[in-house]
Amino acid sequence: MNTSPIEVREDPDVHEGPALLAGLASGPSLAAHRTQFGDLPRLALDDLVEAVDDVGLRGRGGAAFPFAIKLRTAAEGSRRPVVVVNLSEGEPASSKDSALARTRPHLVLDGAVATARALRARQVHVVLPGDRPLTTAAMETAMDERRDRRVRLVRHVASPRFVAGQARAVLELMAGRPNLPVTAWTPEAVAGHRARPTLLSNAETWAHVGHLLHTGPPTGLGTDDEPGTTLLTLRLPGARVAVREVEYGTPLRSVLPQEDAAVLVGGFHGTWTTPETARRLTVSVAGMREAGCALGAGLVLAVDDCPVVWTQRIVAYLAGQSARRCGPCLNGLPALASALAALDDGGGTARVEQLSAMVVGRGACAHPDGTVRLVRSLLAAYPHEVDRHGAGYCSWTKPRAVRRLRSVAS
Amino acid sequence: MNRRLRVDWPACKARGLCHELLPEVLELDEWGYPVVHGEVTDELLGLAREAVRMCPRLALRLVET
Repeated sequence: MNTSPIEVREDPDVHEGPALLAGLASGPSLAAHRTQFGDLPRLALDDLVEAVDDVGLRGRGGAAFPFAIKLRTAAEGSRRPVVVVNLSEGEPASSKDSALARTRPHLVLDGAVATARALRARQVHVVLPGDRPLTTAAMETAMDERRDRRVRLVRHVASPRFVAGQARAVLELMAGRPNLPVTAWTPEAVAGHRARPTLLSNAETWAHVGHLLHTGPPTGLGTDDEPGTTLLTLRLPGARVAVREVEYGTPLRSVLPQEDAAVLVGGFHGTWTTPETARRLTVSVAGMREAGCALGAGLVLAVDDCPVVWTQRIVAYLAGQSARRCGPCLNGLPALASALAALDDGGGTARVEQLSAMVVGRGACAHPDGTVRLVRSLLAAYPHEVDRHGAGYCSWTKPRAVRRLRSVAS
Repeated sequence: MNRRLRVDWPACKARGLCHELLPEVLELDEWGYPVVHGEVTDELLGLAREAVRMCPRLALRLVET
């Protein structure tokens, strides 16, 4: 199986930030957390809904879904809800949830436990990433420090697979079945774990909930439309992996390298942009959507080599990460990887586009759709470079045509 | 009220019976898996229900949109 072209990093440089990542020096212990932020916030469900609605809090796992809608839906069910903290970020290049686990685990858990209490939920399920031992250990240490008679923390470890962190795959894991996506006929917030209303969000979302409940709405941070901050994983050429908390409305330029670099925004399910476009973007859910990008899981990957080659390697990896259950994904992604590789032999983009149209929207999870988003963004942002590959050249490496001729001659 | 056929993708194993019954709405892709085109009209409702019932993998559902 193709390994990820980017290795998982659990030890990014975590920079001091304006909200979640303020006061990192005091460490991740429960005692330090209580000193800094105070006791577990207790509030009624209506106040909680109002608080998250007022700041327009959106999920940070990738889909940017409004948290208040999920919360309200889970609260409206007739059965007792379940709360899930998802730390099994499948994106190998993303390190933000690892950073939170290692620096702010109790902010994450306070957000989830306070919400569970408001919902009268009795269980908070914490789903840990199987391929990230340091993250898992940090969360387990934090969970062991806490005592709560009303809310039980239940631990699960997800498989080391890209699609294992998908919401339905997580629910399968919690039910004791293989940690793979299945078809969702109803939203999790309506019927999820054991058919109970299930409020499943990723670690960063819960950390924002926790911070909001402790310190109130973020004043002076972000924009009127999008208050507050968000976490970015920065992978820049020649630099250590970094996690930074930035305000919404921050120009992306301020975190990018000076030199021209192709930038992948969001994650492996994200969007390629040219250096020119990347410099014009701002960190904003709405703004990025307008520009045809998505903040996704908050990855900013700037590369000083060829985005076509990167995409070939990423899609080959993603094809191998299919759960191999849905026909269009099981057959389509390897075919798409081959079609991308064949660009270098003059295979052309018609087959790539045909396969993209064939797999999109035809799976139990977002894996085919996300992979197609990446491929289409390459064709849109780098059409000339794709053409050059078709002619046997690459702007970043030695002319392939020459290499091919040599190999024919020898 | 609009109705669509939805495929349970992990359950579908490309047996192709749905396409036999309802080529107006279901094509097959190059691997034999169904491609759903548009909504199920009133005239096709009976056939659509039959396709749902006959699927050997129980991988097809009629959903209201």
